[in-house]
Amino acid sequence: MAVRRLELVMTKWNRPRYWVIGGSSLAVAVLLLIFRPYVLISGLQSAGLYAAIALPMALILGIVGIVNLAHGEFLMVGAYLAYFFNATMGVGPLASIVPVVVLMVALGIGTYRVSIRKVLAAPELNQLLLTFGISMVLSQLVNLIATSQPRSVSMSYATVSATIGSTSFGVFDFVYDVLAVLILVGLQLFLKRTRSGKAAVAVGQNPTGARLVGINVDGTYLLVFSIAIGILGILGPIFLVRHSVFPMVGGAYTMKSFSLVAMAGIGNLTAILWCSLALGMAEAFIKSFQGYGDWGDIVFFLMIIVVILVRARRTS
Amino acid sequence: MSQPTLVVENIVRTFGGLVAVDGVDLTLEQGEIVGVIGPNGAGKSTLINVISGVYLPTSGSISFRGEDVTNLPAHERSRRGIGRTYQLIHPFMDLNCIENVMVGALFARKLPMRSARLVASELCELVGLADPSRRVSELTILEVKKMEIAHALAADPRVLFLDETMAGLNIDETNEIIKTVRRVTEEKQLAVGVVEHVMHVIRDLTHRVIVLDGGRLIAAGPYSEVAQNEQVIRAYLGGDV
Amino acid sequence: MNQRSAIIILIVVGLFAVTLPLYAGPYPQSIGQMVFLYMSLAVSWDMLLRSGQISFGIAGFFGLGAYTSVLTVLDLKLPPLLSILAGGILAGVVALVVGFVVLRLRGMYFAIVTLALAEIFRVIINNWASLTGGPEGKVLSSVIFGGDARLLYWLTLGVAVLTLLMSELFRRTRIHFALTSIRDNEVVASSSGVNITAYLTIAFAVTSALQGITGAAYAQVYGFVAPDGSFSTDFTLLPLAMALLGGVYGSAGPVIGALLLGVASEFLKLYIPYGHRIVYGLVIVVVILFLPRGIAGIVRRKRAPREGGHA
Repeated sequence: MAVRRLELVMTKWNRPRYWVIGGSSLAVAVLLLIFRPYVLISGLQSAGLYAAIALPMALILGIVGIVNLAHGEFLMVGAYLAYFFNATMGVGPLASIVPVVVLMVALGIGTYRVSIRKVLAAPELNQLLLTFGISMVLSQLVNLIATSQPRSVSMSYATVSATIGSTSFGVFDFVYDVLAVLILVGLQLFLKRTRSGKAAVAVGQNPTGARLVGINVDGTYLLVFSIAIGILGILGPIFLVRHSVFPMVGGAYTMKSFSLVAMAGIGNLTAILWCSLALGMAEAFIKSFQGYGDWGDIVFFLMIIVVILVRARRTS
Repeated sequence: MSQPTLVVENIVRTFGGLVAVDGVDLTLEQGEIVGVIGPNGAGKSTLINVISGVYLPTSGSISFRGEDVTNLPAHERSRRGIGRTYQLIHPFMDLNCIENVMVGALFARKLPMRSARLVASELCELVGLADPSRRVSELTILEVKKMEIAHALAADPRVLFLDETMAGLNIDETNEIIKTVRRVTEEKQLAVGVVEHVMHVIRDLTHRVIVLDGGRLIAAGPYSEVAQNEQVIRAYLGGDV
Repeated sequence: MNQRSAIIILIVVGLFAVTLPLYAGPYPQSIGQMVFLYMSLAVSWDMLLRSGQISFGIAGFFGLGAYTSVLTVLDLKLPPLLSILAGGILAGVVALVVGFVVLRLRGMYFAIVTLALAEIFRVIINNWASLTGGPEGKVLSSVIFGGDARLLYWLTLGVAVLTLLMSELFRRTRIHFALTSIRDNEVVASSSGVNITAYLTIAFAVTSALQGITGAAYAQVYGFVAPDGSFSTDFTLLPLAMALLGGVYGSAGPVIGALLLGVASEFLKLYIPYGHRIVYGLVIVVVILFLPRGIAGIVRRKRAPREGGHA
């Protein structure tokens, strides 16, 4: 069994395209290590953050088939819930993950039941507009309750740093890389090893067919949606540790997540990690230049434009 | 007759690993009705899609009235006179019946609005559609099929492909469409390709037939001959008869 | 309602709108200015929607138009009215260039890229401080027409009328057939002779130019631009809510929606200063769930009881 799997992996990696990409990435990494080691580290950390946030979006898109424009807003709500627990009860964000996840899953179930379920059969336009509306409702609700003043917490462990050579860097943000890998592995295990996971894959490929063999399609959608929102419930509090939050903070993450999912291709969860590495590194690289730092926010857009053009060339 | 209107040579179309059309030739002349038959998945619709420009061929060539149209986009082929209907009913639901027909006249023929409306009106009469100001949702299946034919004719095609137009019609309705197609082919001196599963339509309507199986051309000739062909029978019934 | 009563209503409402400054004070006129600007955005958004594409990037072209107008007045000494035109032209040209890439996309991909586009424009304007004044923005030394409330009102009314004229042009010429057929079925449209790319490009460039003109007028009326203000999501959120509420795929719907929500927003801002925008989000959600064709859809349905199957 293991030999077979190794064989499959080897044949996949025998494609010349992978060698080119792999080789040049390695070269870039080495160059960064020599000249701008902080970029390598910071890029790796933000890659983890982006990947962790993008994976649940990919899950919803691949299985339920809708793009959740409120994705970043759910993350924001999770972060605000953690802030609330911290401000009112003095509970640290990490400690509040469990109650936040519970609340977020409840929010996810509610949102799905009340609205999303109703537009699944409707044209894609309706779905886009609905989730756009939900994103606005969520961010404005938070604005209403907590005003637009940025909120943050200060935890002692947030500022732990390490030093390698002449470069010192924050250590906490590596948690995102760990999380991204855990989420990926967790989702893969769920989708391939569990009964409901395999049902979810079937539903994602062919909802009518799945229904015909007795799979509870609506229940699957609900489960998948809840899992995705639940993951955001884990990420929200962790996000709060080192980021200040404000009602509109989620928007950028929705766009970057979608860019990653689009780049990786629907259904390809693993590729999201590679694409997020590219995005994280590219952003960190741009940001490392004094005075041009703010231009880093354009990187994700340029990447998606390049992907569009490359794909268009390939089809024509 | 001079050179054939449509010359399709050695068309191959693959999708990844699947070879949907594998080296098919076809010629069409004005005034003739040719049947394209074969079991499900034989590549008939793909062939029509390649000819009309929905797909570009992986290899092979298409020449129309002497011009090489192999790489032209669909709307350019439509403007030159290659027309088709679609297998699944695909009218424009947000336009009414006559507006649906007008589209071809407006864009393939580039007529001004008033003339386009006149042309569309005449075509609706030609195919036997009463009250074309109705919405598409108010039409019967037979009327929608007639509208599709009128819609395709509005572009003033020289060659027209009817892709499984008879699906879902009863005997009387089918016969009506057969009569309509014959009438239209005569009047407009079209070259017509008919993709069909309903064999009596092929028998009654076409002058000759080509048979596809697994993307390849396995027989050609008048229907009476082809129907006796062993390979064809085997393709439809599978294995030994 | 039939053709005749529609025309009568149009004339009456039109006369009322045009003559408002003669008997109403500056406050109603300033409300009117905002309503007309948002109305223009709502109508132009609807125009692109008719091709089947949703744009979430209204704010982007709006902001570009605003900045073009202010910068051409400040740096090139362009007359204010001309600068409004310049705003529209620049927005249209940018749409053409961007459209070359972006119009290959459909559905959710196109929609999200337009969302990102607006953000990108804002970032570029924000960072290119030497040209645009960076995060602080720029201020005009004087507002257009010296701030005469009536002239400002008629200017914004003019912008709305221009957009409505273009919308009707889209509705009554072959453009209507092209966009509707593309929306309903691209493949069939294409094999009927419709050049999809050409028509989508026209729709995208024209609507973006209109949004640019609206932004430019806004900048001239209020006298300043700033990255966060001129590219605010309000300029995407409100027009969408208005068009959906009033009813899409026509001129009347967005107008109705703009009148209703535009006037309502004045009161909302007074009573719910923080987060009044939640109402627009709720409007969008409620309309999509319960009333996808909006108010105009109800009217149309009452007019044509012989419905068969499809709504």
